[in-house]
Amino acid sequence: MRVVHYLNQFFGGLGGEEHAGSGLEARDGAVGPGKLLEQLLGADCQVVTTLVCGDNYAVENQEAVTAAVLEKVRAAQADLFVAGPCFMAGRYGMAAGALCAAVQSKLNIPAVTAMAGENPGADLYREFLYIVDSGDNGAKMREVLARMADLAQKLLRHETIGSPKDEGYLSRGLIRDEFVERTSGQRLVDMIVRKVTGEAFDTEMRPTQFAPVPKPAAIADLTKAKFLLVTDGGLVPVGNPDKIQGSAATRWGVYSIKNCQGLDGKDYEISHGGYDPQFVRQDPDRLVPLDVMRDLEREGVIGSLHNEFISTSGLSNPLSNTRRMGREMAAKAKELGIDAIILTST
Amino acid sequence: MQLTLAYHPVTSIRFGAKLALDGAALTVDQEELRALVLEDPLIEAVDFVIAAPGDSLRAGPIFDIVEPRAKAPGGSPDWPGILGAPQTAGSGTTHVLRGATVTAVREDSSGDSRGATGYILEMSGAPAAGSPYGKLCHLIVVPHSQPNIAAAARQRAYRLAQLKIAVRLAQAAFSVAVASSEVFDNSDAEARPGLPRIAYIGQIFSRQRKPQADEHILYGADTDGMLPTLLHPNEWLDGALVPSYHASIGGAETYFYQNHPVTLELYRRHRAGEINFVGSVATIASANNFDRERNTRFAAHLAKWALRADGAVLTKFGGGVPHTDLSETARLLETMGVKTAVQVTDAARDHKVESALLFNFPEVDAIVCIGGNDTQWKLPQVERVIAANSGLAEILAGPLDIESHNVIGVANQQGASRLRSVVY
Repeated sequence: MRVVHYLNQFFGGLGGEEHAGSGLEARDGAVGPGKLLEQLLGADCQVVTTLVCGDNYAVENQEAVTAAVLEKVRAAQADLFVAGPCFMAGRYGMAAGALCAAVQSKLNIPAVTAMAGENPGADLYREFLYIVDSGDNGAKMREVLARMADLAQKLLRHETIGSPKDEGYLSRGLIRDEFVERTSGQRLVDMIVRKVTGEAFDTEMRPTQFAPVPKPAAIADLTKAKFLLVTDGGLVPVGNPDKIQGSAATRWGVYSIKNCQGLDGKDYEISHGGYDPQFVRQDPDRLVPLDVMRDLEREGVIGSLHNEFISTSGLSNPLSNTRRMGREMAAKAKELGIDAIILTST
Repeated sequence: MQLTLAYHPVTSIRFGAKLALDGAALTVDQEELRALVLEDPLIEAVDFVIAAPGDSLRAGPIFDIVEPRAKAPGGSPDWPGILGAPQTAGSGTTHVLRGATVTAVREDSSGDSRGATGYILEMSGAPAAGSPYGKLCHLIVVPHSQPNIAAAARQRAYRLAQLKIAVRLAQAAFSVAVASSEVFDNSDAEARPGLPRIAYIGQIFSRQRKPQADEHILYGADTDGMLPTLLHPNEWLDGALVPSYHASIGGAETYFYQNHPVTLELYRRHRAGEINFVGSVATIASANNFDRERNTRFAAHLAKWALRADGAVLTKFGGGVPHTDLSETARLLETMGVKTAVQVTDAARDHKVESALLFNFPEVDAIVCIGGNDTQWKLPQVERVIAANSGLAEILAGPLDIESHNVIGVANQQGASRLRSVVY
């Protein structure tokens, strides 16, 4: 197996911070920690090329360095790409993460790096890579390289990679299914027995902490504000022209309500399998309150209502979809000069 | 309350002239069962099919799966509130044909979030290995009801037919020696101070859908307007409960009320002297915050003050919204000093942890997660497709891409699933 190893200026033997501006250079064979890595990877693995680059240079010229590294890894006919370990070195971690992600996706060969969980490179790239948890202690070089070598061997052999705890990598924040011996009921009861008796238990899922969304400033004058109605209740014109999926929708649609004083059930259908739609079918104003908005418009309580509403389906919709759609909808609202959005859910 | 389950293993089902249990072979008389089903004028005709583990067979959309059980005289009745008066279930002796089922198919696909195939039963390959139902012998009931009757009436007819058949089959065991038996009785819980007192809180319906007016869920009641209520654990096991007609919010079958994995495991721990299983609460997931506040408080207070629980396990019914009620009930319990563990289904269609949970309470920190989003199968054509009409048979014929959620039993929410979400 042919291995290409990436190091920063320090581990590549150029020197410290004063050499952080050095450009990318390629050397034959293993350098520095690469020698131990080669040994740990076993007899059938050889570090054919070591790439060394200064930390500042790598981060400031990421695109060019990535392209050059891809070229050199391709030319070396590598089977495996290894970067680091980087420990707490932030710029090194960011470069290693970016290069591993690029090699893995563009060249389709396994890539392994290692860094501390607090390294900024970890948060940026953990979802895409197996990043061995190196901790922040550079003295543990041998231990970290051994885990990197184990993981690399498994990847090369297309073996199943175990849990972050067992394999020593930083959790990628991803989920896969596994058929296990014990039923969910047995696991549930085991968990409560452990919890009430004060024994340690392993929860199977942890909530994600989200940054609070700051409350926007209040609208100073409603009588001049332009409103937009948005729903995730899946209301679409008959025929579902945008083919908005009823579950985990990736699309949203914009539908005209020009000259309409209210919505008529016969003009609409519901692409959303998660609630009892009979009441909205009877009167879609129950979901998209056009009728009362027209009243408010007529009474002069609000300035105006935009003559389209936006719709998608919120059912079982993961954040990676909804975040993107939310941004797209917000951009659309800005473009239309909307001051206020009424978002209705089910 | 004491319940004895008298087990009779069944390893094969065959058609014959007379209902009989001979060793582990069950012979069923189709004509007798047909007459039983056709007592209901809403059903015009019925077919029966036998399916065994490993058969190249696919059936669907599945209405429900029931274990054949019959109550011996002297105990509580068979299916109180559905087949008879709503007396309390859960006492006396129940004969169980272990390894057999009565499995009914629907005549239409639900066409909702379960998709065109609905739930399918697959008897071979990986899906069969992944579902507890792939290991059982099924008597499949294929009803043909009157055209132009309401969907609710149709489903009510399926339910009655299926339960009647299940009872009738197990009556064959009355005259046969019992292979093994198990007694369910937690009345010693009060006599064993010092052991942690554990309760079960289970959702039995979700107001994501309105129950049909005459739908049987709890002792034949449709649960409309229901508040959380105490049930003895034996009531779950012995006929107080059946799941909703609404397939889209499922994950529950009658079979796993009868063999309720959470209740059985709590009983096992109780017998082992590790806990006192002090009782259970049946609750409903709400459709709005007003109901939610009322229901979650009722459920939590019953566990805390009526059952005096030190810990509770909670399961949900249906899809996303019930996570809210589940987690809020657990949060309330934790604030009252009752420790909790909850069982959820993975909501992350993008396989990312950030999308997996629909709540974020630091107190609710013991979570079992049923998977499914990462498991799809390519189903080949099979030798036999069992469906109520040719249109459905065509949909099920295969080759077919199917989500694990659509194979009945794989992502069961009553505690029977072995498919786990693993974070990596």
